[in-house]
Amino acid sequence: MVEEFGNTGQVTGSEATRFCLTLMAEPLELSWHHSGVTSDFMGEYFSRACTKGIDPLDARHSISYMINEILENAIKFRHGGDVEISGSLEAETFEVRVVNVIDEETARTFRGHLNDLLERDPGELLLERIEANALDPDSSGSGLGLLTLMSDYGAKMGWSFAPGRVTEGVELTTIASLRLS
Amino acid sequence: MEISTNDYRVWTEGSTIHYEGTMRLSGTDAYAPVLEIMNSVLESKPEVITLDLTSLEFLNSSGINLLAKFTIEIRKQPDVGVRVLGSKSIPWQSKSLRNLQRLHPALELTIS
Repeated sequence: MVEEFGNTGQVTGSEATRFCLTLMAEPLELSWHHSGVTSDFMGEYFSRACTKGIDPLDARHSISYMINEILENAIKFRHGGDVEISGSLEAETFEVRVVNVIDEETARTFRGHLNDLLERDPGELLLERIEANALDPDSSGSGLGLLTLMSDYGAKMGWSFAPGRVTEGVELTTIASLRLS
Repeated sequence: MEISTNDYRVWTEGSTIHYEGTMRLSGTDAYAPVLEIMNSVLESKPEVITLDLTSLEFLNSSGINLLAKFTIEIRKQPDVGVRVLGSKSIPWQSKSLRNLQRLHPALELTIS
């Protein structure tokens, strides 16, 4: 059974410029800094493919920020395995899909967060979360990645949980799209 | 005081804290030494603290959390003012820095 939250439909079409890569877990010893180099590379790649009228500097940054935040989560919460990234750009719309495996407990907690996230205004939630983080000296993660994407970048987000596609844990696909300007 | 790595540099000059490069640290613990530098400036209770971000090309969301947390600390001290300097040519700053002003309306934000 596949469970979906938010906007999971493909927003770019058959004419889109596409680029896919897989961060292999083993030979790469997949770790934190791979998020940054991968997202910078993809930001650079797609900003060069932008049509006239789109600011390439803003496109490069926005794409890089978006992929970096999703990859940081993927690397932080993954339950082994590779991380697959596919980006596509059509006119002013950019979409990225990131696939990785998480364990069942992480999937359950994350589904709970998503229910809150999708019911509320992301800008309000962002400020609430910041205030809560400031009061909690023990919080190790900020939880601001998805909120900044939705609030500050206007990103449309979706998530698909597919336990049946992997032998252990849950396959999570994170889908995010941006309107470049 | 200064922290300098291959990716970024943070240093103070009086009550101004300068940031340069790309900061993509892995979370609150990793940002703790940077927060320590910032807190030491706040502890000296200057009239105004300036955060100069005009050379900070990239900051991840954990870093945005750091700036927000510090803004809240300053908000608790009404005698200490805060000025944030950003650059229009660095896209994240126009998108995310206004959140600091929403947290602390007396914060003076200049993006030029």
